[in-house]
Amino acid sequence: MTRLAPVLLLLLAGSLAAQESTTARLNRRVPPGVAAAVRALADSAAARGLPTDPLVDKAIEGSAKGVDPERVVAAVRLVFTQLDAAAAGIRVGGVVIPDRETIEAGAFALAAGMTGQQISELVKLSITPYTPAATLRVAGTLTALGVPASQTVALVRETIRNGRASADLLVLPGRVQAQMARGESPAQAAAGLTRAAAARAGAPGQARPKGPENSRRP
Amino acid sequence: MVRAVLAGDVERYAELVGRYRDRYARYAARMLGSVDAAEDAVQDAFIRAYDQLAQCRDPDNFAGWFFLILRNRCFAERRRAARIGPMLDVETQPIAAPEQPDGVMETKERVRALQEALLQLTPDQREVFVLKHIEGLSYEEIAARIGGSVPSLKMRMHRAYDRLRERLKNRT
Amino acid sequence: MTGYDPLVKRLLDGELALAELPPELQAEGAEALRLLAVTDRLPVTLPAALDARVMEAVRARAASPSRRVLRWIAEPRELRLRVRPWVLGAGLAAAALVLLLRAPGARVSVREPGATAARAAAPERVFVRFELYAPAAKQVGLAGTFNQWDQAATPLVRAAKAGVWTVTLALPAGQHQYAFVVDGRRWVTDPAAPAVDDGFGRRNSVIAVGGTGARAL
Repeated sequence: MTRLAPVLLLLLAGSLAAQESTTARLNRRVPPGVAAAVRALADSAAARGLPTDPLVDKAIEGSAKGVDPERVVAAVRLVFTQLDAAAAGIRVGGVVIPDRETIEAGAFALAAGMTGQQISELVKLSITPYTPAATLRVAGTLTALGVPASQTVALVRETIRNGRASADLLVLPGRVQAQMARGESPAQAAAGLTRAAAARAGAPGQARPKGPENSRRP
Repeated sequence: MVRAVLAGDVERYAELVGRYRDRYARYAARMLGSVDAAEDAVQDAFIRAYDQLAQCRDPDNFAGWFFLILRNRCFAERRRAARIGPMLDVETQPIAAPEQPDGVMETKERVRALQEALLQLTPDQREVFVLKHIEGLSYEEIAARIGGSVPSLKMRMHRAYDRLRERLKNRT
Repeated sequence: MTGYDPLVKRLLDGELALAELPPELQAEGAEALRLLAVTDRLPVTLPAALDARVMEAVRARAASPSRRVLRWIAEPRELRLRVRPWVLGAGLAAAALVLLLRAPGARVSVREPGATAARAAAPERVFVRFELYAPAAKQVGLAGTFNQWDQAATPLVRAAKAGVWTVTLALPAGQHQYAFVVDGRRWVTDPAAPAVDDGFGRRNSVIAVGGTGARAL
């Protein structure tokens, strides 16, 4: 039997790697009842093409925080719902098969308070070099800072429309934060940055990023 | 006092804290729905105000400038305000209200209902209401504090009245 | 559901008296005033402990002014990184990566701006320094998505500045959620970071770690 064990381990590692690591992680850190519920949810998620790690992560987080098992499972269900809704929104936005990263970014935006419709809109806005995942992450971060969701969309739209590189989008949360430190509300900060971005529209040498062209700041 | 702190006398800041800590406590509590949340907000605001003390353009008006920082912090809490947090403890005493027409003893429940309804307004609407009817400022004073024109503030307030009426009617 | 009559609103604003309203609006006016009458105007007093907490934090800041957010954003040559995810955008991330590469044993792969080529085989990692001011703490841990929320796995150590705890981690690019755990039981978010609901009635801080390529953030 002992000689078979390493072979079995190899087999497991090879073909069932993903499932096994999920189970192992759960078993090590989560009570059995929760683990079973999470495994079931993970199976549903996988069947729907959704990432499963966020579900496991949330279960592990809840257990680490000493939360009641019922509440942990409820939170994991919520994550599932967010992933599902995010994937749907992303598909409506034009990405036929969303990847794991984009779905997780979408779920983050939803958790921050955005709607499925806004997710779709943000995805539609995301043309090269702006990836949907980055757009959704930035939007989620802005909303998590307190910018009203609709204003987040407006700010992202103007930035992409009049920007020159993906960095323009990535620095938005920091710039909102800087304005907030000066006493502005998140909404005011976002409005100011939106106006500034729109004002760049008429600047000479401004190239609209379109198609596969990769316009970067020199 | 602000100048002393800026010059390096950190301990003087405690005097500023002592002087202004409760001035806006009620505003924060009504905006956020609980005294605990207000405590967090005021604490954060004081710390942030210290960090930005060099940016305070008018050291003689620390209060006004501090209020803006606290206000910003309250607005950032918006997402938490969506769930009705621990309610303020309310006595079953008649609330001081000069315009109360019939001297009826208001119940804890109605006060709570109004506070809940307030939390369901947009932060902008809630703020005008709090500043006018709880802090007792005039529209002009509100405009001076937070900006905006008097007519636009009135419009915001009037929308708030309607929404409050709606919410409280639905509760019966 | 109709709203209040404009005259009633002016009554609420204090511009008119109830008696000045036409008879047909008296009832509505009285109802509106009753609504307003239950506004809780009791003054609020905050606990005295607040002063002490503020002063603790303030004293720490007085000891290290270089940690001010605005100054960091303006002068990114500062070597210490307080956790500021949005500042780790493309340009600044490049500066940060360069600085961190000088640390011995660094295992960070840098992508030069403008480079084409496929993504590096190994996931990019960026060293991020976490700091927390907690002078009364006996121990502080960091828990997050990057370490299975195991605060025992990532303890912070006291920094040179009194009351400050710190740890530096190599995080893979992407977004992570985290919180500090003080004395094994008090979960604390990063006061300056964006935060999201954790689904358990608390909040987690969020940090986005970027590289310099198109897949930044």
